[in-house]
Amino acid sequence: MKKIKNHIDELFKDIPRNKETEMVKQEIIQNLEEKVYYLMDQGKEQEDAINKAIVEFGDIEDLKKELGVKEPEKKNMAKLNLEFSIWGSGLIIVFFIFINLYYTPHTIWAIYPIFAILWWPLSMYFVWSRKKWSE
Amino acid sequence: MVRSDIIRGHLDSIILRLILEKDRYGYEISQEISIRTNNRFQIKEATLYAVFQRLEKKEIIEAYYGDVSHGGKRKYYRITPLGKAYLNELVKEWSEVKEIIDLFMEGLE
Repeated sequence: MKKIKNHIDELFKDIPRNKETEMVKQEIIQNLEEKVYYLMDQGKEQEDAINKAIVEFGDIEDLKKELGVKEPEKKNMAKLNLEFSIWGSGLIIVFFIFINLYYTPHTIWAIYPIFAILWWPLSMYFVWSRKKWSE
Repeated sequence: MVRSDIIRGHLDSIILRLILEKDRYGYEISQEISIRTNNRFQIKEATLYAVFQRLEKKEIIEAYYGDVSHGGKRKYYRITPLGKAYLNELVKEWSEVKEIIDLFMEGLE
């Protein structure tokens, strides 16, 4: 009978433990045990009876919904990443332009680091739009 | 065996009917369904408990603990007055649905 309890524990592992779910769990275990005894009365070996009870139990998705387990919502971080990369690269670009104009106003070199840094928001934009397309 | 997704929408009716006859506990209900349908439809127990939860929340059925068997207390369900009214509605709805579907299914084969 330990096997039944273990199986149900396994099925319930994503479900938050509280009084309600604990009661449902007890009820299920009790009923499954009853089924096992019934099957054994019908002449089944205990091992077979337990396996049959477990197989016929089915999956627990509906029950999870009733017990209010929400699918862990995947936060869409792509947008935040993109925003951060835009602000970050913007600041760095302003910084380079300022240094360039302030110290060497007659040589334009800031364009090189600016091009390099632009890969950052560009790649984040790519990740973001790929996410959007796959939704 | 019947496809369970067709029956799915009528599980409430099936279960309520069985509880209306007398108070029953989980395994008894699943067994009764198998017996009455001659095993043509077997409810998955996991589904059964989901239905109990939903109906209990809506106060269509209520639970109480009954006699002890095999080391555990059986949890029995009884139908409430609200549940009886709900079942009545379901019966009416079903005869309506049956008529409609029959309009299209009868006379074929």
